[in-house]
Amino acid sequence: MLNGAFAVFKREMKIMLRYPSWFIPMLIWPVIFPLGYLFTAKALSGTGNTSLAQFQNFAGTTDYTTYMLIGTTIWMWINSMLWTFGSSLRVEQVRGTLESNWLCPIPKVSLLIGYSLFQILISFVFIVVSVLEFKIFFNFEFIGNPLLAFLIIIVSIPAVYGLGFVFASLVMWAKEANSMVFMVRGIMTIFCGITYPLEVLPNWMRNISEFIPMTHSINALRRVISSGAVLVDIKREIYILIISGAILMTLGMIAFNYTQNKVKETGTLGHY
Amino acid sequence: MVKNYLLAIWAIIKKDAKIFFRYPVNAIFRIFEPIIWIAPVYFLALSFQINGENIGFHEYTGTTDFMAFIVIGSIVGGFVSAVLWGMGFSLKSEMDAGVIESNWLTPIPLWVQLIGRSIFSLIITSLNVLMTGFLVWLLFGFNIGNRILEALITLIPMLIALYGLGFGIAALVLITNNANNIIDISNFLLNILSGESFPITVLPRGIMFISLALPLTYGYDAIRGILLGSNTLLPLNIERWILIGFMILGVFIGYRILVRTEKHCKTMGNIGFH
Repeated sequence: MLNGAFAVFKREMKIMLRYPSWFIPMLIWPVIFPLGYLFTAKALSGTGNTSLAQFQNFAGTTDYTTYMLIGTTIWMWINSMLWTFGSSLRVEQVRGTLESNWLCPIPKVSLLIGYSLFQILISFVFIVVSVLEFKIFFNFEFIGNPLLAFLIIIVSIPAVYGLGFVFASLVMWAKEANSMVFMVRGIMTIFCGITYPLEVLPNWMRNISEFIPMTHSINALRRVISSGAVLVDIKREIYILIISGAILMTLGMIAFNYTQNKVKETGTLGHY
Repeated sequence: MVKNYLLAIWAIIKKDAKIFFRYPVNAIFRIFEPIIWIAPVYFLALSFQINGENIGFHEYTGTTDFMAFIVIGSIVGGFVSAVLWGMGFSLKSEMDAGVIESNWLTPIPLWVQLIGRSIFSLIITSLNVLMTGFLVWLLFGFNIGNRILEALITLIPMLIALYGLGFGIAALVLITNNANNIIDISNFLLNILSGESFPITVLPRGIMFISLALPLTYGYDAIRGILLGSNTLLPLNIERWILIGFMILGVFIGYRILVRTEKHCKTMGNIGFH
């Protein structure tokens, strides 16, 4: 299984390096993506920051820049993961290579594990680049322990990639990656408080937010990075992330196995 | 010749419609997609409201109706995206599906094919816009006054000018064989710099200088000025003339770039490389 996963990892690396322009978006997106929200927040604050106190009442800080940068970085990580999982299988369907890959005598889940390894590496580089750029362009201050922030990201991995496995199965069913990516990341944007405090949401929406692991990743990261929280302060979030990671990974494996059996039975694996 | 071009455009529209409705999830989702983009900005605005009013926003724009400001930005931005993605990405899809060479072998010029690809995208965007406007009005409420026809007349030269930009983006895709990043970044930057979701007066001076050099900025600004009565950067008539100038120059320059790139790709023989 690991050999298969490693082969997929190597192939993805080869494809990425074949298009040397890949590093340009990696440098550009962390800086330009939050700009829309940051300038909107500036406009909403007013020329004399008249409305900023109101934001502080909800968010507990007037530093909306750091607040939003943390949210948008996690959003970009999830977005990139969704595109990797959604478009990889879909592109293979379009290119007609999915069936030949499926005929390999390896567990099919190793394809997803290979994509995950590739995606984790890229995301790690992306997050490091983002933090460096935030320091340069936005004067990003790290008040808490960076290692604790790193731990939160590590603990979030099973939940994020478990969601990716479920997502890959959904794309195989719906045979449409774009709209599925838009839908899942849209739900995240609305419910996880990427750019605004969840306190402004109606109660029923806040209840839904509680069930999305990324809400807790973002909360924990904000508390560590902006307020200097220590491990004890964020233990609730860490537990939630570990439990939801185990649940989502299991669900992801079940969904993928079920879907691959279904598409083999119906003979629709390569349909698009 | 014109009749043949129109027939080709019609054939491309029919093909795109067929592909679009072949994926019903996609078709349904496209209708609701703008809500997903607008809802977070609505909640962001809520977190700054004092007694239900965006007082701070009024200081910059002269209006407290942030939702109307955003909806207009999102509608105009939707058309910008439709042209850029409709033209640029279509080439990449054809490369991936291995049909670009056969399409180029037909006696229809590339620019006509690209226009054909953008039209279905524009039709869907127009439906989207109507649906978005209605849903956002229902969910969040806003008021855009009654000068809609005047706003539409202002939008037309801007839309035509975008075709020039679309030709340029398509040329870039042909040279780099990498559509997603090019279109995504250009589209995003254009929307940010021309003030899709905020008044450009909040931008730092250096960036505002670039914004003021972009004709699209005046498109967003003029349409908001007409519909919301918000403060405009220049008098409305001057903004309209800028858009007309942009239309003539943009289409001419974009067309020239595309023709030269097409010739280059045919000479090098790298049309279908990806």
